[in-house]
Amino acid sequence: MVFERERVAALSAAARACGIHEGMRRGGVQLLAPEAQLQERDPAREQAALEQTALALLQYTPQVSLAPQACVLLEVSASLRLFGGIRALCRKVRVSIARLGLSATLSCAVTATGAWMLARYGDVRTVRERSLRRRLDRLPVVLLSAAQAHLEWLHGLGCRQLGQLRALPRAGLQRRCGKALLDMLERAYGQAPEVHDWVVAPPVFQARVELPDRIEQTDILSAYAQALLAQLAGWLTARQLAVKQLRLWLEHERGRQAVAPTDLRIALSAPAWQEDHLYSLVKEKLARSTLPAPAIALGLAAEELERMQPASDMLFPEPGGSAEDHQRLLELLVARLGADKVRQAAPRADHRPELANRWCSVMQPAASLPAPLSTDAARLPPRPLWLLDEPVPLRVLQHKPFYRTPLELTSPPERIEAGWWEGRPSTRDYFTVRDAQHAYYWIFRQWHGGEWSDEEPQWFLHGLFG
Amino acid sequence: MLSSSSPARTPETIHPALWLASQLARGNGRGVSSGFEALDAELPGRGWPTGVLIELLLPQDGVGELRLLRPLLAQPQRLRPGAPTGRIALLQAPHAINAPGWAAMGVPATRLLQLQADTPADACWAAEQVLRADSCQALLMWQARLRKGDHDLLRRLHVAAQAGQTLFFMLRPLACAREASPAPLRLTLRPAPGGLDIGFLKRRGPLREQSLFLPLTPSPNLQRHVSPVDRRTPATAAAGSLPSELAG
Repeated sequence: MVFERERVAALSAAARACGIHEGMRRGGVQLLAPEAQLQERDPAREQAALEQTALALLQYTPQVSLAPQACVLLEVSASLRLFGGIRALCRKVRVSIARLGLSATLSCAVTATGAWMLARYGDVRTVRERSLRRRLDRLPVVLLSAAQAHLEWLHGLGCRQLGQLRALPRAGLQRRCGKALLDMLERAYGQAPEVHDWVVAPPVFQARVELPDRIEQTDILSAYAQALLAQLAGWLTARQLAVKQLRLWLEHERGRQAVAPTDLRIALSAPAWQEDHLYSLVKEKLARSTLPAPAIALGLAAEELERMQPASDMLFPEPGGSAEDHQRLLELLVARLGADKVRQAAPRADHRPELANRWCSVMQPAASLPAPLSTDAARLPPRPLWLLDEPVPLRVLQHKPFYRTPLELTSPPERIEAGWWEGRPSTRDYFTVRDAQHAYYWIFRQWHGGEWSDEEPQWFLHGLFG
Repeated sequence: MLSSSSPARTPETIHPALWLASQLARGNGRGVSSGFEALDAELPGRGWPTGVLIELLLPQDGVGELRLLRPLLAQPQRLRPGAPTGRIALLQAPHAINAPGWAAMGVPATRLLQLQADTPADACWAAEQVLRADSCQALLMWQARLRKGDHDLLRRLHVAAQAGQTLFFMLRPLACAREASPAPLRLTLRPAPGGLDIGFLKRRGPLREQSLFLPLTPSPNLQRHVSPVDRRTPATAAAGSLPSELAG
């Protein structure tokens, strides 16, 4: 329940069921519903919420303006085809507003003032001028803000609907009520031009939301982050930008045990602006991080920006997903598993197998990777498909290396003698071997101090032929 | 009793999804050829089916499971002219993947994507994302034994696989053979002299008791390397010597 100057200004359905209505005093409310939550109306926060909504709705049209009585006006005539018609557009707008944690009454009409008055009356959708007139004629005069001062006089005349107001003589009405009322009426009916003050997206994006309580659960936090991302999506679309790095920070309670805000950075390998993709990344990032203390506020800033480069659609959509889909998949995997767990091959030209086989994070740009090996793979002696991280030392039984069962050599040796330039010379003879179960392994004989020293060579298991 | 003229004798003429228990199913379209004639003949759809969970049960890692998939993986399916060629995601691989070895097998390292997850739940999540994105040619997932409550994960992955065209192989220990599984194709792989014995644990088709033997070499260039010892430098190929490009 929201109070404004000691009178109820807004209330929930449950409060209405208790018999409370708008304009009631605080004492009466406390008598009827002692457990009700009473809040003071905060015009500054209402205005902020309205501005956030306008920012989020910039993703549907570049022409958004604010109107009195908590209304946002969108000029959508140019967006209808892109978003698939007025119904689909209304559905998307409704989803966006719900993500901000707000609810709205949506109306549309061919004139902005008409749509504004219809929205305050209820959900009405008209796309033709004639039906708009018919509907406007039935609206109460109260909705015309310029008529507020003359309401009693108009009601005294028996003039309660706009249609009746329009039937009155024009000259007399102007003399009695002033020009503002007639102007507004004409604008609503599309007989006079309308002028709007369009909302302009700020040059830098930074949004913050205060949480209603101290929150520790990251899944609840991600719902609030979604509201910030909806604004970001509107901002990015309005400025035709795509984001490369996001910074999400969680503010913790101040006071004796002050904790510095937790910073989460979300890096994208390719610039993105799609709200759903960014949300899935933020969600995974939040789910993976642990909070040092409950959060009281959430902030979001776009750090690295690039120009938006929308992908061109195919005439015939192909199965199997596009390269952008794959990129999005990689980012999503990185967000949850960590950058070092999603790897691509970056083989090095080295004869030592453990050095030749190198993997790096997929977040490394492809240009920084070494060039693929030029040696013709088919000319190399056999190489296994698996390589053990650490070679396993093998016992020798009856002059044969032994791993679970005796190993049978099936190939001539391949000498790899390298590393002398790094001061770590190693001399190895690699063999392909078969065990009693007919599985194939890759083992090597390590010579200590060169082949001609007296020391016995040692056997190691190094790879598996999968 | 069914008369000989009854359409139930040949249910496949009514609808491709129908088949008799003595036939191999061919409902889900043609599979991707495994590269082995004998194996294709035993698989429903004459090849590996796409978009389903395929289980391969192994007694241990490295018995020849990757050599079995070699013809399949080495043939990239280019989905469209501009798109990158089929990527292969390897999830929870038991050992480090040796890129030069895969290159020798015919799979360039650029096509490989290695994924490691800390927990089984993360691994299943990653598999689901890969299947849903449907941008990889194949997904190979190694899955250790599941706990009692985790069997819904398999069903979930199978459903995720059905949404796309990704070839989804799950490699599990042989001990899982006795557990129920939603996978429509389950094969057991056992090493055999000179190849691999494939047992058909479950398939859409008649029961096959005896296993199928497939000859496989450990590496495509092993035979060439073995006999004669070294074709390129035959005169000087003593046991300890090396071709010049290998000598560091």
